Amino acid sequence: MSIKESLKQILVEELNLEDMTPEEIEDDAPLFGEGLGLDSLDAVELVVLVQKHFGVEIKDMDEGRPALQSINTLAAFIEAKRVA
Amino acid sequence: MSRQRPVAVTGAGCLCAAGPDLDACLATLFAGRRSPQPPQRFSTGHPVRYPVFEVPEEFFPDSVPADPELLRTARLAIAASAEALADAGWQPALLRELRVGVIVGTTVGSAMNNEDFYRDYRSGGRPGMAPIRRFLRGNPAAAVARYFDLSGPVQTVVNACSSGTDAVGIAAQWLRDGLCDLVLAGGADELCRTTCNGFTSLMITDSEPVRPFDRNRRGLNLGEGAGILVLESDELIGQRPGRSRASVVGYGGACDAHHLTAPHPDGAGLKRALREALAACGGSAADIAFVNAHGTGTPDNDRVESRTLAEVLPGVPFLSTKGFTGHTLGAAGGIEAALTLACLELGRIPASIGFAEADPELPATPVREMTTTPGRLALSQSLAFGGNNAVIVFEKGERS
Amino acid sequence: MTRLAIQGMGVLGGFGCGVVELQARLAGRAADPTELVVPVAGEELLLAAHQADTTSLERFLTKRQTRRIDHFSRMALLGAYLALEDAGALEAPRDRMGVVIATGYGPTRTTFSFLDSVLGDGDAFASPTHFSNSVHNAAAAHVAIQLQAAGPSLTVSQFEMSVASALLTARQWLAAGRVDSILFGAVDEVCAVLGYCWESYFPGSGGPIEPFALDRQTAVPGEGAAFFLLTREKEARYGHISKVDQGRVRKGSFSGGTWLLNADGHRACSASYPDLLTGSAAVAACTPHFGSLPVGQAFDLAVAALAVRDGRLPVISGPDDLPGDWRPAGGQALEEPVTCLKCDGDGRFGLIEVERS
Repeated sequence: MSIKESLKQILVEELNLEDMTPEEIEDDAPLFGEGLGLDSLDAVELVVLVQKHFGVEIKDMDEGRPALQSINTLAAFIEAKRVA
Repeated sequence: MSRQRPVAVTGAGCLCAAGPDLDACLATLFAGRRSPQPPQRFSTGHPVRYPVFEVPEEFFPDSVPADPELLRTARLAIAASAEALADAGWQPALLRELRVGVIVGTTVGSAMNNEDFYRDYRSGGRPGMAPIRRFLRGNPAAAVARYFDLSGPVQTVVNACSSGTDAVGIAAQWLRDGLCDLVLAGGADELCRTTCNGFTSLMITDSEPVRPFDRNRRGLNLGEGAGILVLESDELIGQRPGRSRASVVGYGGACDAHHLTAPHPDGAGLKRALREALAACGGSAADIAFVNAHGTGTPDNDRVESRTLAEVLPGVPFLSTKGFTGHTLGAAGGIEAALTLACLELGRIPASIGFAEADPELPATPVREMTTTPGRLALSQSLAFGGNNAVIVFEKGERS
Repeated sequence: MTRLAIQGMGVLGGFGCGVVELQARLAGRAADPTELVVPVAGEELLLAAHQADTTSLERFLTKRQTRRIDHFSRMALLGAYLALEDAGALEAPRDRMGVVIATGYGPTRTTFSFLDSVLGDGDAFASPTHFSNSVHNAAAAHVAIQLQAAGPSLTVSQFEMSVASALLTARQWLAAGRVDSILFGAVDEVCAVLGYCWESYFPGSGGPIEPFALDRQTAVPGEGAAFFLLTREKEARYGHISKVDQGRVRKGSFSGGTWLLNADGHRACSASYPDLLTGSAAVAACTPHFGSLPVGQAFDLAVAALAVRDGRLPVISGPDDLPGDWRPAGGQALEEPVTCLKCDGDGRFGLIEVERS
């Protein structure tokens, strides 16, 4: 499974988005506010989930905010951190 | 929104990292001293060692020794209660003849957080019931009532970070309604690994000493302690007049109804609580000598508070004492009530420690140096998880 | 003393969901408890418990709205919505509504779920969502957020005295005019750890609950929520709460009258009832219908409200020997007021008096 597919599954299962399937999440859809409508509590939960599933740390929200914009940005962030 | 009759406060006790009693705490505040450090009693597995404001063992009074059967939060509550009663001139034995209520706010003090017990259980062990027994005997308000042998109503308020302020406001109402002759009211909470891990997971803790309202603030430091006030009925005051240090003249509370952890961005609940408290005492900004803000040091809280204070109480000096005590959760409202009434007596507030550089986003900034605050009223406010907002207004008493 | 008018009630527990179901149950035998799975030392014990089902919350909230809300807060939300629905107040404005919640143990399942995240994966993997929901006022927060109740909010955690204690303050808010209505509720849940403790404290004991077998341990754990919409109005759909008190047990404090005892099979608490209530009194106990839980008194309050509305208390099964001079209160014309009484094992009592007018 690609990072993006894995992330979509994590979002649906771990954040309990019961009304949607992973396939329905678009790569570039905003995760917060509009789009998926996640909020600040989901953001910090995602930080833990990213650490848990990918071993990648988001140190603070200065780093986190741009990374958590969409599936695309998050996948790119994870890939970059893993290579480093 | 209606007027509330003043209720006398005759004693105060305060035990936290800033000092073993209220006078010592004040000395620390006015000396501009603080030393948050990583916790001694436990450790967490984070690479970063977040500083906390821990109460050292030597700060506890000899009269309230450590007891394996007594949970730390209950011990803190009892110690602060003992100081408050002595300050009010009450021999505990005489209280048995009165209807004495106890209201204590807490967070950790009501949670079954015992990790050793649960670790053992979940890994297939059969842990003994001692921690459960302690928990069942550790309800803070019940523990205080039991220790001093008190017979009136008992209430442990679990309104998260506004619990202590709510406790004081509710106590005043109990007395106005004639439910009790005297009430011990405030808050108590202990540091524990579980809450440290919880707040860290929310990414609202600072790895540096906390900087309330500062441009570079990054979050809170946790703390522990207890602050308890003695409030008395008009009849008791009439029997022994001249003892009040302050009066509770206003109390307001409202819920943001917005989010589980984040405050309402426009301070909706806080504004409502402020309006109620000010209407209760007929006070306006001009009458308020100073505000003890919630000031946790998180980006969100301080922004909301600064904007709200600028709008509702423009020009009123304010500070956050959490730079000296850390965020003591359920105890905060009680500790800050004690510090507020003491500063009101003194007619001055210390510099708001941790504040160095103003944040352009924040229209109001706390005091940078010790500031004289003549004026008959002072206000303490608390904002909590779950969107609770609580405000208490004190008037100078007869003693000073 | 300000009387509180009960305008609506929402209840859920082992008996089912809603006031109508509760009343139907009270007319007959108590529902059997279900089984709570309690893992202990690698095995699975089955403990009888009166458990609540929150499926009907879907009538009021979408899955998306409740995705992060745990069982504890779901029970509270369902109780709250049912109470408002029962009062015909689902569309009424709520900016002058206060929320007061009593809980004995708080959200225990989530408290341990949070510890699971820490102990299972390490401190760095602590779940912020579980932590936020483990704070005891999470239920009040969720109720306020979903209902947009912007008045004051209070959560009280006082074990068996939680309901009486919280109601003392709730009453004052209405009396003082701080709010125009209060959504007053009580919630407690069962969980595996509670089950483990139960087995340790009361080995070999079991139900069914025999409320008046005061010298035996017959308690069965229960969970649920009981919510009430309270106002200052003279007219009440059910009746009025006319007195609330909390204090220390002193022998012979009360006698005579009609009493609904929250005697729930806990021997340590049961002994206080005959100490407190001497002489002749008409007594009933409905605890077999919802089980033993710190906020059990709130269910009694619902029963009392139904009783004063209808002029009758339900018959309790088999009170062949009531202690002392007590006589059974059920099944005959009701002598008001009905007083709900709960004693803890620490020498304290909580009292709530209910009358029609």
